[in-house]
Amino acid sequence: MTKIWTTSRFIKRLLDYRFWFFALNLLLWGLFHSLPIFYGLLTKVIFDAMSQEATAGWNLWTLLVLFALTSLSRVGIFNGGVYTFTVFWHKMALLLRRNLLDYLLLAKGSRRLPDSPGEAVSRFRDDVNDVLDYLESWVDFFGTAFFALLALAIMLWIDPLLTVLVSLPLFAMVLLTNALTPQIRKFRRRSREATSRLTDFIGEIFTAVQAVKVASREEEVVRHLQDFNDTRRKAALKDSLLTELLRSLNINMVNIGTGIILLMTARAMRTEAFTVGDFALFVSYLPRLTWIMSFMGDMLAQHKRTGVAFERMQHLLQDAPPEKIVEHAELYLKTDMPQPAAHTEHHRRLQSLHISDLNYRYPGSDKGIFDINLRLERGSFTVITGRIGAGKTTFLRVLQGLLPKDSGEIYWNSEVVTDPASFFVPPHSAYTSQVPRLFSESLRDNILMGQEGDEAALHKAVEFAVMEEDVSALEHGFKTPVGTRGVKLSGGQVQRSAAARMFVRQADLLIFDDLSSALDIEIEQQLWRRLFKQGEATCLVVSHRRAALERADQIIVLKDGRLEASGRLSELLQSSAEMRRLWAAEPEAARREVA
Amino acid sequence: MSEPKSKTSPMPVKRYGALLYRYLRPQWPKALLMSLLLLASIGLQLVVPQILRFFIDQAIAGGLLEVLLRAALLFFGVAFSNQLLAALATYFGADVGWTATNAMRADLTRHCLKLDMGFHNARTPGELIERIDGDVTALSNFFSQFVVRVLGGVLLLIGILVLLWLEHWLVGLILTIFVAIVSWILAYRREVAVPATHAEREANAKLFGFIEERLAGIEDIRANGGGVYTMRRFHGVMRQFFNSGLRAWLLRSTLWTFAIGLFGLGYVMTLGLGVYLFSLGAITLGTAYLFVQYMVMIETPLEQITQQMEELQKAAASIARVDELLRLNSKLPPGNSHRLKAGALAVSFERVSFAYDDKPVLDKVSFQLSPGQVLGLLGRTGSGKSTLTRLLFRLYDPSSGQVRLSGVDTRDADLALLRQHVGMVTQEVQLFHATVRDNLTFFDRSISDERIMAAFRQLGLDGWLERLPQGLDTMLLTGGGGLSGGEAQLLAFTRVFLKDPGLVILDEPSSRLDPATEALLERAVSKLLAGRTAIIIAHRLDTVRRADEIMIMSAGRVLEHGPRERLAQDPRSRFHRLLEVSHHPDADLSLQGELA
Repeated sequence: MTKIWTTSRFIKRLLDYRFWFFALNLLLWGLFHSLPIFYGLLTKVIFDAMSQEATAGWNLWTLLVLFALTSLSRVGIFNGGVYTFTVFWHKMALLLRRNLLDYLLLAKGSRRLPDSPGEAVSRFRDDVNDVLDYLESWVDFFGTAFFALLALAIMLWIDPLLTVLVSLPLFAMVLLTNALTPQIRKFRRRSREATSRLTDFIGEIFTAVQAVKVASREEEVVRHLQDFNDTRRKAALKDSLLTELLRSLNINMVNIGTGIILLMTARAMRTEAFTVGDFALFVSYLPRLTWIMSFMGDMLAQHKRTGVAFERMQHLLQDAPPEKIVEHAELYLKTDMPQPAAHTEHHRRLQSLHISDLNYRYPGSDKGIFDINLRLERGSFTVITGRIGAGKTTFLRVLQGLLPKDSGEIYWNSEVVTDPASFFVPPHSAYTSQVPRLFSESLRDNILMGQEGDEAALHKAVEFAVMEEDVSALEHGFKTPVGTRGVKLSGGQVQRSAAARMFVRQADLLIFDDLSSALDIEIEQQLWRRLFKQGEATCLVVSHRRAALERADQIIVLKDGRLEASGRLSELLQSSAEMRRLWAAEPEAARREVA
Repeated sequence: MSEPKSKTSPMPVKRYGALLYRYLRPQWPKALLMSLLLLASIGLQLVVPQILRFFIDQAIAGGLLEVLLRAALLFFGVAFSNQLLAALATYFGADVGWTATNAMRADLTRHCLKLDMGFHNARTPGELIERIDGDVTALSNFFSQFVVRVLGGVLLLIGILVLLWLEHWLVGLILTIFVAIVSWILAYRREVAVPATHAEREANAKLFGFIEERLAGIEDIRANGGGVYTMRRFHGVMRQFFNSGLRAWLLRSTLWTFAIGLFGLGYVMTLGLGVYLFSLGAITLGTAYLFVQYMVMIETPLEQITQQMEELQKAAASIARVDELLRLNSKLPPGNSHRLKAGALAVSFERVSFAYDDKPVLDKVSFQLSPGQVLGLLGRTGSGKSTLTRLLFRLYDPSSGQVRLSGVDTRDADLALLRQHVGMVTQEVQLFHATVRDNLTFFDRSISDERIMAAFRQLGLDGWLERLPQGLDTMLLTGGGGLSGGEAQLLAFTRVFLKDPGLVILDEPSSRLDPATEALLERAVSKLLAGRTAIIIAHRLDTVRRADEIMIMSAGRVLEHGPRERLAQDPRSRFHRLLEVSHHPDADLSLQGELA
């Protein structure tokens, strides 16, 4: 984290977004909260008039009509306030969520989720909601503060000593609430964590639903869920017990206040130095004053909670500058977001790629890749091979900046690539990951992923991916919705769709991570054939298939994260024991036995 | 699965009652205690204004100071005990609420787990989280607060009205009419926002489902430059969230508009009545103040009832969704109680056809596999191989024909027991954020560590286990983070080993294993297959070399089926040609032609 922002700074920056709209909110809610001042005053005047045994004349009825009008105007203000606040709330909610997602998807540099996607979603949901609650308090703040000042002024004017005596317990309560706040926060955090664990587990259950069914362990899984349930219940109850006690104390403040008034005025009321109207006014202001006191106290706690929420969001974005979270951006709630301008960035055609002493170690482990050197030329076919855990996938991810390199340089046409993450994207490179993800959209949208317009390119990409027959066999062809994570397609189809997604980008460098893993051998061979016939692409491929190894211009053998050997297959079979071992274990060898 | 169409129609009150009854009944002692506390607290609340009236009238009449002070002290005592009781009632309410909703979460999870795969394929885990936790949490208020506030509120209202009638019939009558009108309007407004709230929650679930799915695929998006496009799509989802949220909020706020307006008028009206009756000399000043106090007290329960009605709207939308979920039935009818014998199973398919969403996948497939035999299954992606094996688990039922295991139709077998007898290793291994032990046993505590260790030893994986920092207690990350694809597969093998099934299905078991690890598993596979029937789905010919029989499928039909040895030597067989071709990867001859 480069800079630390205070919570106030975050909030200020947020409120600056559509400031006048926020100001309108303040005005409407300010009026709404302060109008009840009149209720107390009018009640006092009416009761005083009555106790002086004045007959209910013109004057009293006028007062009552005035009272009714005040009430009605407050209803109108409320309606306006609700509308402006609803719009304000939703825009703020969306701005924060947009900023988080925008940074994760588009910012420069390596971007990795610090936790599971499910955990990350609770940043988008719960922490954003915490911030919103706090913003709501700010909308209410000025109106309530104004009411409190006016009310206290009127009460002081009537009876200063009594006002002080009545207010003291209120302050005591605020202090007590603040003293208990750390405890409440602790309980709340525990309850939140318990919720996270529970929702994560539900997510896992349904990600693994087939495995659970096949294992016939539904009951055991539910029982485990109940453990999480119970932990959460206990945490939530502790939280609510303390909160409830405090709330009850708050309400009691009104009664304590009323009790004090009764005790103090017993003498004065007998002599009418303190009138029934005064009494009615005091009692009518007390609940609202108490509420305001506890509201202000709660705002302090909310302030801290919001700080935690911002901290967590920053943790999600990792190296992001704090202003990113509260960045002002267009939300496009009325019109579509415009198509991005075509790539204006300078596209340098690949001539050669040179990787020098590339290092990456997974934090807190000794695994990673170490001192990797590699050079590949335009139009060449490079295969990376090695055992499980040799660092093949890690290498591809570090190269593309999906993981941040610890050290080493990457040269594209002998120019240093400063930010691999934003450089290794189309049109420079495109990628098919080992377990590619599709999204709940149509097959077409999944493949094109925004690359609209070029039908010919789409068909060509699908052909390269040996997918054209599958597409025509699908009920709605390209328009078929693939379901969540592509579940409506077979494993092989998902992988080939992802390959088509890569091909359609027509990038200089194609990076495939073990394309073969879910493909039939004949389809894989067909894919290689089609790719080679075209002959232009530069490929960097993780594979251990003979078909790929035999065609490779160079093979990189990784072992325990280090470069064990490199060269052509024939050389390596001579020089590298590891290569021989991998080659011998490769499935095609066994095939001869069958025959 | 039949999606109920009546999403928007209001839920009958009976449904709320049924839910309350079902989940509160087991906790009746606590619920009873809560109710008693509540009743006591209501009684005390009714006394408070009476003390104030007494005080005012005495003060004005110049009563004894001592009497006034005693009244003030009594006020303190009553107010305090009232609050204590109310706090306790709320606490017990929360406890009851959590216990009830936890039971509901468990029930829903259990129910969803039982639904067929068609249901799951159409939904993201994020969506189900929102349904099982989000919706149910929205309901927790319904369980914990609703009864306390609404029932308590109603009792308090009745108490106030009775006391007012006793004071003066006119005030009693007018305020009774007032309460009736307010209640009627609130009840009438209650359902207004339910459909909008339903839509709001849908949009919510969609928003977070979108985020979850994209975050899970963040590398694919970033490395292929799909970020801007994804953000454009996100703006579309956001707009839906905004529009449905706006609509739902505004509709819900109409309740409050009515409440604020009506209470303002009610207060003025009561004050006016007091002024009028006082001017007639019908009541004392203290009684006029008593009216105002009771009017203020009417406001609280009515407001709380209003608020709870708003909560109920949220809850109603949630109940509707929960109910919708609970009413979905698995397409698979429950099986009978036929048991399968232990030991290797015989498999037989008799003219089995199967269609997925009206798309034919299997077409009159028939074959037999004797106990202990190993069948190698070949065919292109989409030829129906995977589907065929899914039928053995009854993840789906055939649309016609019969699947039998040792002579028992899968539809007649006890489903849980059936699945106990069949084990499977899939290409994708699903792991939980839990210990290695829990991942292997699926949280079945009855499986001892000794058994797990023995399985590891048999598989030759004890070395791997020893390298784990905390052995079986080592925590794995969600989705197997921290494990390589191969290691995850090793765990999957161990899972099946522990299950000790009579039929094993290896679905492309060598897919994501590197050759060295695959060699390690050779021995383990032999061990696993010994004494069991097995079906090996392979895309690679080498995988089937252990097979006794070979079956080649295409477009949902069996193209060829026979003993491996015989097929390999028969030059006219497709298998033979397949073997031939595979020696020459560059041969022009398209294998597709062979298999299709």
